[in-house]
Amino acid sequence: MKPIAHRLAVVLFALGLCVYSLQVSAAEKSFADTKVVLQISDNDPFKQTLVLNVANNLVKHYGPDQVDIEIVAFGPGLRLLFKENVNAGRIQSLVDNGVRFAACNNTVRGMSKILGEEPTLNNNAVRVSAGVVRIMDLNKQGYQLIKP
Amino acid sequence: MKTKFKQIALAAASATLLGVVANTAQAANWLMLQGTEPAGAAKRAHVWGFIQAQYQKDTSDANATDGYVPPKLIGPNLDDQSGFVVNRARIGVRGTPLPLDSNVNYFILTEFGSNGITAGDDPQYLTDASITLNHIKGARVRMGLFKYPGAEEGLQAIHVFDYINFTEVTNQLLLERFPQAGDTNQPATPTPNADMNQYSRAVGGFRDVGIQVFDAFKSGDWENSYAIMYGNGNGSNYGDNDDNKDIYLYLSTELVFGGKGPRREGWKMFGWYQDGKRTDAYDRTQEQDRTRYGIGTKYLKKPFRLTAEYMKGEGMIFMGQHRPTHNFNDKEADGWYLEGGWYIPGTKWELDLRYDTYTRDENFIGPAVPPPPSSAPGDKTEFNTITVGTQYHFNKKTRLNVTYASRDNKSDTAAVEAQQKGVDGRFAIQVTAIF
Repeated sequence: MKPIAHRLAVVLFALGLCVYSLQVSAAEKSFADTKVVLQISDNDPFKQTLVLNVANNLVKHYGPDQVDIEIVAFGPGLRLLFKENVNAGRIQSLVDNGVRFAACNNTVRGMSKILGEEPTLNNNAVRVSAGVVRIMDLNKQGYQLIKP
Repeated sequence: MKTKFKQIALAAASATLLGVVANTAQAANWLMLQGTEPAGAAKRAHVWGFIQAQYQKDTSDANATDGYVPPKLIGPNLDDQSGFVVNRARIGVRGTPLPLDSNVNYFILTEFGSNGITAGDDPQYLTDASITLNHIKGARVRMGLFKYPGAEEGLQAIHVFDYINFTEVTNQLLLERFPQAGDTNQPATPTPNADMNQYSRAVGGFRDVGIQVFDAFKSGDWENSYAIMYGNGNGSNYGDNDDNKDIYLYLSTELVFGGKGPRREGWKMFGWYQDGKRTDAYDRTQEQDRTRYGIGTKYLKKPFRLTAEYMKGEGMIFMGQHRPTHNFNDKEADGWYLEGGWYIPGTKWELDLRYDTYTRDENFIGPAVPPPPSSAPGDKTEFNTITVGTQYHFNKKTRLNVTYASRDNKSDTAAVEAQQKGVDGRFAIQVTAIF
């Protein structure tokens, strides 16, 4: 029984890894003409509204299939991707239109120290090791960086 | 490439514009709007406030001996029939102390205007100071000094109130006055310097110090809310003045049409109940029940607005700003109002119309409760007011209110009737700026 459970765990882990890799590498496989990475690193709640508005406007302007958007949250801006955030509905709506959300794992670790526990993130948030590195990588791949 | 960047920049710029006009306030009902902050999106310290500057002119006639009573004079000092006043000048801070933890919110607001809260010998300048703990789903806890759950006219944020003066039923039945030993009555007096405001303590301001459990639940397009509060029953005054406590209950359900913040569109129905005891300021051995309850509804879908409320009170019926010794009684009173607004499409103008009626000391039977004496049995007085008004919205944060109230008061008691007979119109103009 134990080996079966062990194998099952390995398979599940591998599956999870694949899904994660697929999500993260979606950017690399994008065929959209327009590629944009939006940065949210500010504590100001107004900036949260703004970055979501920008993403929404880009989707509306180009069409969901013609624009590739990733919103990278790090530093105080990570609050946008907290599970309880009031903008969760808008985030889901953007995800439904192909927008991706990346959460900085360095920030998560830092916030965990302050809070005494790890903050629960939005299910649509994909963790990246460092938000700023993610932005630089995307930039190299032709993404234009916008900091609303 | 250049064109593409232009397009992206254009989208970003238009989003910036959208962001400026977007209302970032949390979903609205007064319990949630005043008691909580938007989860994951609140500032550590959001500074805000508003100023209301006004002019009022009363056209009532004096009585036979050239004396005036409070309904014929301009508050809060009640010594003349016209005047400019900075009615409210409030500044406050609200937010979440540690932005990473949305479970803790706070709200603090100070008052520097001239009104019933600041007019007494012992004025209150801190109108709100509360902490909300959101750790338990369905049972948020708010502690401190804040607006108690109750009638819409009292619970709503005053800076978005569609009129300048309260209805008589709200002013007399709900805006509680607190006499102090030493406060004496004042007969009708010529102006100027009538000085008819004989209460030396701050009015309640629809507030209390206590603890409240509350929350709101969404069910499709409906939002249901509840609140239970236990408080001192001593208004906006910081401490408690006796051992008695007040209980407040509130239920509401709203069909939400859309929007956010104080002007969210929807159709709300609500009911509320308050009960407590008051100690007689002039004889500390005497206690009296004070009960208030009411129901109401509000519909708002631009360009139309309609509000109706009915309220009833038993015990501690306010008998006039010039008669503090009459406040301790077991009389009954009730009243209601119906008001509507029309936002003239395509303009910044809004038209308002309100009718309110209040019957004080109705069905009074038997002797007055312990001395000092209250009015004679049968002191039934009716206050009927029709208010017409208009508002001009300069922008979302600044507006002009102009109202004219036509009043018709009458009393079964000859002495009161003689005073109320001359009560006539009141013109008021007010500018509100919110920041």
